[in-house]
Amino acid sequence: MNKVAFSSWNGKVVDNRNGKAAKDVAVNFPAPGGKVALMMGWGGLVATDSKADIPSLTVGYLKEARKISCGECSVCMIGIDRLLDIMGRMADGQGSKADLSEMQVIVKQVSANSKCSFGQSALYPVLDAVKYYKADFVALITGEKKLNGKEYQSTVTAPCMDACPAGLDIPGYIELIKNNRFEESLSLIRQDCVLPGVIGRTCTHPCEDACVRKDIDESLSIRLLKRAAADFDLANGAKPFGAPAKEKEEKVAIIGAGPAGLAAACQLRLKGYGVTIFESLPHAGGMAAVGIPDYRLPADILTHEIDLIKRMGVEIKLNTKIEKLSIKDLKKQGYSALFVAVGAHQGNRIGVEGEDEGYEGFVDGVKFLRDMNLGIKIEPVGKVMIVGGGNVALDCARSCVRLGFKNVEIIYRRSLAEMPASDEEIEGAKEEGISIRFLSVPVKIIAKNGKVTGAECIKMKLGKPDESGRRRPVPVKGSEFTVKTDMIIAAIGQRPELPTMDAMVETTAWGTIQADPATMATEMEGVFAGGDCVSGPATLIEALNMGNRAAEGIEAYLNGNAPAEQVSFAGVDLAKQRGQGLVVKCPAADVDFLDPKKRSGGFEEVEGGFIAAQATQEARRCLRCYRVVVWE
Amino acid sequence: MLNIVIDGNKVKAEEGSTILENVQALKIDIPTLCHHKELTPFGACRLCSVEVKTNGKWQLATSCNTPVESGMEIATSSDKAKESRKAAAQLLYYKYPETQAVKEIAQKLGVDVSPEVAEGHDCILCGLCVRTCQEIVGVGALTFQDRGRGRDNDEPKIIFDPNVCIGCGSCAYVCPTGYVQMETDGDRRIIWDKVFKMVPCPVCGRFFAPEDQLKYISKTTGVPFSELATCVDCR
Repeated sequence: MNKVAFSSWNGKVVDNRNGKAAKDVAVNFPAPGGKVALMMGWGGLVATDSKADIPSLTVGYLKEARKISCGECSVCMIGIDRLLDIMGRMADGQGSKADLSEMQVIVKQVSANSKCSFGQSALYPVLDAVKYYKADFVALITGEKKLNGKEYQSTVTAPCMDACPAGLDIPGYIELIKNNRFEESLSLIRQDCVLPGVIGRTCTHPCEDACVRKDIDESLSIRLLKRAAADFDLANGAKPFGAPAKEKEEKVAIIGAGPAGLAAACQLRLKGYGVTIFESLPHAGGMAAVGIPDYRLPADILTHEIDLIKRMGVEIKLNTKIEKLSIKDLKKQGYSALFVAVGAHQGNRIGVEGEDEGYEGFVDGVKFLRDMNLGIKIEPVGKVMIVGGGNVALDCARSCVRLGFKNVEIIYRRSLAEMPASDEEIEGAKEEGISIRFLSVPVKIIAKNGKVTGAECIKMKLGKPDESGRRRPVPVKGSEFTVKTDMIIAAIGQRPELPTMDAMVETTAWGTIQADPATMATEMEGVFAGGDCVSGPATLIEALNMGNRAAEGIEAYLNGNAPAEQVSFAGVDLAKQRGQGLVVKCPAADVDFLDPKKRSGGFEEVEGGFIAAQATQEARRCLRCYRVVVWE
Repeated sequence: MLNIVIDGNKVKAEEGSTILENVQALKIDIPTLCHHKELTPFGACRLCSVEVKTNGKWQLATSCNTPVESGMEIATSSDKAKESRKAAAQLLYYKYPETQAVKEIAQKLGVDVSPEVAEGHDCILCGLCVRTCQEIVGVGALTFQDRGRGRDNDEPKIIFDPNVCIGCGSCAYVCPTGYVQMETDGDRRIIWDKVFKMVPCPVCGRFFAPEDQLKYISKTTGVPFSELATCVDCR
């Protein structure tokens, strides 16, 4: 809540300028720290000072909006140009009051007749300005006031961009695909996502959940569009990353070649720093390499994208486990900063009797996937039971089908509604004949001669919601039952296995490292951390984002600068817009999936991608919900 | 067939057809600048806007790219529709006052225009050339550049890829403003500043097509180049 002099946010007008008892208005200011005196954005106009210079702010806003207007339809960009020309004329003392009504007509016509959501909504605040600050505009016309010519701070977002952990310019790269400019689209994607082919296949796409079209017909297939840009590049010569503009003297050491480490490495290298990554496994890629099976992410896609990063001059030392981390030694070796991104590769205990007996046939999910991805032979057994309901559990189960296991069952303690795995994964598992036993949990592993033969389980019912908001499962007394199984895979989460350090880095109760979410800096000078070892098990795109942030944080640290402030739109409803044109319903373009009958016995990629023509067609569905805001 | 209402009259419309197609079938004149019946509708010029009632609410919609729905009511000449078309024309005329095609349409829609002759040939970004090259010719030598974020304040424009253009001239043919110019002089054709070699017909000697175009046709159809090298009249 902020005390305001005036607000028209979302069309709700609060006017306290006449000095009457001030009313509060709930406006979440999209700005660093929420400290904003004056703001104009897609939702309206907000001023905390009753003497705010609104005509100047209007010009500042229109200039920023002009940069986002695409010029595809005739009204939006030309309308903005016309408004800026009128404002210029007023400032030159050649305006008249008729100009104010013309401005209002232009705003109304542009809003009613623009092709995209940006044009339909962006100009409403100008209407508010002219309407509620008319005297200020008249003062400009009469020459009593001048425009201040100020450069206001500005930010651009969109519901999809804000939902993306790495804040990719989603409408931007979709627009380039729409205009058949795949190469430039990929360059734009790579600015914030150095593994586009990987993310285009594996992302949990929160952007699609935030897509405004979701409530109209279907969300844009944003993930597949990203994949299309990457696939197009691969099929057309695989463009390398650009060279750094200027080489710098400092070197940075990174521990862990997973998505966070690779992102930081690539971004730091682009900034000109020397980068060495130390990786304990024989392959780079982290969880993308050893956590995600090939049918979701073919190894050659990951290898190719890592090769591009290596070609920039990033050195990756494989099979190099750092057990004891000495900052002093690293500094002696010439590294000026350190980024710890060791991931979370240690399976959580499930807390059942027999878990620690070392029974043959009992394995944790991440180890199972790691062994499989590293090429260790896994012999199918009669029946396998996977414990857990997340994507790791699903990856294990679906991999078992491909390894030739005939009887694959998932056991999950809650119901389908609470299952954290993505809908696509659950759907895929069902198609492949995997059964899911809900509201049940193993309590004891049954073994004979050191080999798993079954599990004693108990039925659960859902109680009150826990801290995660999901209803807590409670055992049903007397509902014990036994399941015969030859193998149990425990996939109920992972935690980091941190190297010992010569100085204390603060860790949390979950065994993760504490780091500043903006810069990824730890308490220890020159040491940064990111990825799953900071967040706990999370998504690839979150890890990539932490890598990007760390690169920024490290650069600021090495230059002795304060890191750039982050603009937050937390609590702001970005989907809401004041003008919404008619949207013709049109479902998303489909891709082919591998026939479920052909999925056992091999790890062929299940999901197909868009061909170029499908991608441009799908891209045309984007409503372009860009939101511009300027403030001071 | 779907039942729709256009200007108060009940009309049968084909499923998947656009408002514009149905309106034009009734000989109602709706102005367009970016539309061509053989191309994917683009909705760029906003000159074909009409009012549409869906879910009980009247809203503006561009008729070229809005498919009809069962029970849809359409008003082609309501005040709101006419004002909106005029406003779009006014803005286009503001930006391109020297372009005859724009001026004509603006005048027709009630915009005050200058009596002087318009002699400019601006690109108004209607995208007819881009779509023709992509959809009809299948070459894709033309694309839009500098649209949207990241271009700062550069003017959007059409970019020509000389490496793939076959010199067929379809873009010049569809361009409504004369921006895309093509010059054919004997054994040379110049389009988008690229010079193409014209092929003479071995029978009549007429330079009838660019070599690159014939090669492209030969490649896409499998007909030997030698067969295509004779003009249609002499074959």
